[in-house]
Amino acid sequence: MSQANGSTPPTQGNSAPNAKTNEAQGPIRQSKQMELAAAIEKFVPDGVESLAVGGLFMHNNPMALVRELIRQRKHIKRLITSPAGCINADLLIGAGLVDEIVTSYVGFEHLGSAPAFVRFAQAGRLKVLEVDELTLLLGLRAGGAGQPFAALPPGIELSDVSRANPDFYQPVHDPFTGATRLATPAIRPKVALILCQQADIYGNAIFKGSVFADRELIFAAEQVILQVEQVIPTRQLTKNPIPVNVPGYAVSAVVQAAFSAHPTSSHRFYHYDEAHLQEYIQAAATEAGFEAYVQKYFAEGGETEYIGRTSVIEG
Amino acid sequence: MSQIVLEEISGGNAYSVQELMTTTLAHYLHDGEMVGTGAGSALARAACRLAQLTHAPNLSYVAGGSGAINSELAPLVASSGDYTNLICEAVVPMGDWVGSLSRGGFDTYIATGLQIDKYGNVNLSLLGDQAKSSLRGPGGGVLAMLTATKRIIYFFPNHSPHIFVPKVDFRTAPGFLDGSTSWLKAKADGLYAGSGPALVISNLGVMDFEPETKTMRLIAVHPGVTLQQLQTATGFELVIPPKGAYTSVPTQHELEVLREMDENGLLR
Repeated sequence: MSQANGSTPPTQGNSAPNAKTNEAQGPIRQSKQMELAAAIEKFVPDGVESLAVGGLFMHNNPMALVRELIRQRKHIKRLITSPAGCINADLLIGAGLVDEIVTSYVGFEHLGSAPAFVRFAQAGRLKVLEVDELTLLLGLRAGGAGQPFAALPPGIELSDVSRANPDFYQPVHDPFTGATRLATPAIRPKVALILCQQADIYGNAIFKGSVFADRELIFAAEQVILQVEQVIPTRQLTKNPIPVNVPGYAVSAVVQAAFSAHPTSSHRFYHYDEAHLQEYIQAAATEAGFEAYVQKYFAEGGETEYIGRTSVIEG
Repeated sequence: MSQIVLEEISGGNAYSVQELMTTTLAHYLHDGEMVGTGAGSALARAACRLAQLTHAPNLSYVAGGSGAINSELAPLVASSGDYTNLICEAVVPMGDWVGSLSRGGFDTYIATGLQIDKYGNVNLSLLGDQAKSSLRGPGGGVLAMLTATKRIIYFFPNHSPHIFVPKVDFRTAPGFLDGSTSWLKAKADGLYAGSGPALVISNLGVMDFEPETKTMRLIAVHPGVTLQQLQTATGFELVIPPKGAYTSVPTQHELEVLREMDENGLLR
């Protein structure tokens, strides 16, 4: 019988029941490429304990995946952003899908504040667990390395950020010096939604511009859904694997959705759509305006229809 | 109101207030420094690049979230995370440069906020009561972790009593805390490796902190601004030195260098 100790080479009778084989080429490797709706259905349970969104400010936001979460009305108990959330977080909050958020910033940088985030926080409908950037990054790195928590550098005790958020800042004894420091728990998102520009069907992927904090999110998360501009042949990667900064083993699904970081930028592919972001900021200032925005652009149809609607030049 | 003697420095070039703030900031950046900039800081990035091209060729700086080191700002863009910033010498993942910042690897960090108080504490989190915030801010980014940075320089484009307040509602970025005594204690406790806020540049003038009391002190007012105007726009009593000055206006060369990178006119 089969022995799973690794010392015996597998025989044909031991091959996994699901593995397809092809007489001529041997076993066939399974593609991770999925349709948008199917990927969200499969990997994001309704009421997901924690979900992370990648990108930074109005750049590299995985907006096709975010819009699909809203179409499928997936409730999120805890939303985690990169060090700077933007419309990726704001849309989910405005749709009433988020209970609490772990973030160091949600806003539209030079364009203004995040309307739904501000509205929900001020109305007490969103619990804001503010952390500083380093705490967020170290918490994610701890999550990625299986550590229970990360010790923080001295100084953050002096900020009200640490005093206001005991869930993420607690004193810990430094066994090496005897000092008391602050520690933050490891962050392990159940699912991370990440946009990068290219990947093969196995999830080996390339950020063509800044990686921001997306690699921390990828390695900390249990499941990673990648939204990409282009799916490229593996052979194109193996010729020069050095720029491949996401390994396929860390990725659960690859969803191709060209131009769907819109209205945010996709580094080296397209710029952010400032007029559209301004329209959103204005609309989402009220609940009715937010609802009208969703109805106008993406409640009906999929990403192809969304791109069509947002490409229309009015006037 | 204390008396102040203003010494005007000559110069007749037409410039915007933002350009004046940028050249002023550049003057205070030193050669050889490592400087950090953050969200929405086109002005800070422009000042770093201007300093490199005028008096500080060995200065290095990071363009915020993009991770770009020594961006050429070709051209200057509004967003710190923009791909355009990546015309630069190196691109560093966020976790790496934020780590460098937190271990005290940066000489200067340039930031802004929703409020600043007389001891240089800055709020970027929320206004009003913490339990039921009357105004939710975006959140502090790296501001809570600046205590290891040697100097913090703040810029405020809208100097007003709502922004320059006696005490911040929420202390996101620790400045000199509740004044000299509390700050010295934090240093003695090993919690404050840096030297705290060094400079505040607003659309009205330039301030630093009086060495003994650590309270905000006027250094210079911008040309065309009166001392009365600046004090009225400040929600607390500034320390006024017996002899004050006007801010140096941009030179023709500085304006040329600045406008070459600022082809989109973000600072005009």
